Amino acid sequence: MELTAQAIFTGVLMGGFYGLVAVGLSLVFGTMKVINLAHGELVLLAAYIAYAVESQTGINPLLALPIAMVIVVGVSLLTFYLTNGIAKDKELNSLILTFGLGIVLTNGLLMVFSADIYSTQTAWFMEGVVVADTLFSMRGEIVAFVVGICALGALYWWLNHTWHGRAIRSVSSNREAAKLMGMNPTKAELWSWGVAGVLATLAGVMLYVISVIHPPIGHGLTIKAFIITVLAGMGSIPGVLIGALMIGVIEGLTTTFFQSSLAGLSSMTLFLLVLLIMPSGLFGKKAGH
Amino acid sequence: MKFLNLSGFIGCALGVALGVGFSGTAHSANFIIGEHTPLSGKLARVGTGSHRGIVTGIKVLNDMYKGKHTFELKTIDDESSPAKAVSAVEKLASEHVVAFSGGYASGVIGPASEAANKAHIPYITFGGVATALSQRGHEGFFRINSAAGYGKAVIGLVEEMGVKSISVVYSNKEATLKMAKYVEKKLTEDGLKISMHEYDSHVQDYKSIVNKIKLRDRPEAIVMIGYESEYVGILRAAKLLKPNVKAMIGVWSLATGKMAKEFPDLMENVYGTAMLPFPVTFTSPKQKLFYDAFKSNFEGEPSYLEQFGYVQTRLLGEAIVRANDKGQLNLKGISDELRKTDEETISGRVRFDEHGDNPEFVQRVGQHQKGKIPLVWPASAKTGEKVFPGTPWN
Repeated sequence: MELTAQAIFTGVLMGGFYGLVAVGLSLVFGTMKVINLAHGELVLLAAYIAYAVESQTGINPLLALPIAMVIVVGVSLLTFYLTNGIAKDKELNSLILTFGLGIVLTNGLLMVFSADIYSTQTAWFMEGVVVADTLFSMRGEIVAFVVGICALGALYWWLNHTWHGRAIRSVSSNREAAKLMGMNPTKAELWSWGVAGVLATLAGVMLYVISVIHPPIGHGLTIKAFIITVLAGMGSIPGVLIGALMIGVIEGLTTTFFQSSLAGLSSMTLFLLVLLIMPSGLFGKKAGH
Repeated sequence: MKFLNLSGFIGCALGVALGVGFSGTAHSANFIIGEHTPLSGKLARVGTGSHRGIVTGIKVLNDMYKGKHTFELKTIDDESSPAKAVSAVEKLASEHVVAFSGGYASGVIGPASEAANKAHIPYITFGGVATALSQRGHEGFFRINSAAGYGKAVIGLVEEMGVKSISVVYSNKEATLKMAKYVEKKLTEDGLKISMHEYDSHVQDYKSIVNKIKLRDRPEAIVMIGYESEYVGILRAAKLLKPNVKAMIGVWSLATGKMAKEFPDLMENVYGTAMLPFPVTFTSPKQKLFYDAFKSNFEGEPSYLEQFGYVQTRLLGEAIVRANDKGQLNLKGISDELRKTDEETISGRVRFDEHGDNPEFVQRVGQHQKGKIPLVWPASAKTGEKVFPGTPWN
């Protein structure tokens, strides 16, 4: 019982973080139908900026957020301009372009920061939190979970209750119709890439405080984010949260009751099962509707 | 006729020039050593360390044979990928390298050394410890370390501790998996109770594994067989959950100055294999030769990666010169000379058996103690006493 509770607790916390990593990719995918294969590297870039700020100044890595946000949003907007310039077969060519950008970013980080591994030196994030005498986590994990839930909630509110958010949704729904209604789709897409950059920054700084960073891990983050995005249903924020929590919990339970090396297999099995039953994902619109 | 004479002269001159370079006469020659190593990708950190050692080896060889021969290193980044390592070996073979020094991870070294064997070029490494690598019957495959050497160190330490139960947490990569199975077999034969926990390198959170160990296994010690980032994850989870164990023991990449510096709160009392203590003092002439050459090219302190890379390259270079002096600068000639090697190096004694393995290789074990890493096993190499029982949280 204690093992099961800890597995679920760990899975939920990881799910919150996974959701934060995935939601930026999901937003851009929903708006432009572009799968940004450099998203994980953007997350990693933010993590390295947090490391650079902390190691150079000794301040709390959370205070690196403004600097990281400026740089990561800048790179995200640059990616937008590059993908937006693709004239033919945008969906396919943007895959190749962003994959290439991911490689450039990974190797750039490798050149600047070397291949060494880093993690926060701020002991506060590493200290333990015990819930109900039996559930253990690090403070950093609780912070990452709370930031993840708040970011997803804020994004959901922003998309549904602000002019820019509604513009993004309408462009996502029907680009041509939105254009006829007087909207500027390019501006809406620019906004979505900018917000995706902000979300990648939050995810990156959280990654740095809960885990270990080194250059090759960006690609794995992109894959995880992509699985959650497809599982969620295109552009669905609640779907991202539910999908991320499901992945987190199934990985935790598999590790506890079977083998950690089967965790990836179990999350992929869940992914395939959901798509078999609901081809549009958990919260995706059915084709033809 | 004049034209023919001239072309004949040029042809002869070219032939002589190429002969000096590649076919192996006793004259002054430039020897090209090929290296494929992961300078990017998942293994970039270890690959970079190995590369720095090989560069240091080339520098020492050039100093040793100054005025007689020169050594040149051609390096290709294999990006931690077996396919790219094979391409690198094939490309370097086409550029007339006389031997290969490098490679990291058994899964990469396997196909890369296979390609070297097909090209009839000898291959020396320390980066892959899978037993099967040396059982393929390749005449030109050599390695200065072995899985057994690491395994013997871990088993020796555990036996000395006198614990009765162990949990082994290991990565499912080829080398780590085989090492884990070796440790399991040997310790089971010793009558210890062993529980095994395999993980994938993509795991983000190790709490579930450590919690299982804490609540179900209740071992007296935990052995970790993986790589740096994984050790950090396991130790963080263990520090949080505080299983009631007497020791945390790792294998490679753990008892290093870098880990002591980057993760001081996690490393205290943790054991790992190490050739030299940290901070290291290079006192013997052989050690000083290596250290001075290393510092002339690189910042920071050398780890075991640099030491191994250096030793294998220097031994290879000396074998190449001996083979060249005998007019046998080919796979057989270099391999024969390498087999004659029997030397006490800065990484311990090196000689090669019929498979190309070094049967003399035994690792030592260091323990993180307040930012330093004294050697605590075997007794003959001790530079400090072990803190036992002792964990980062206790």
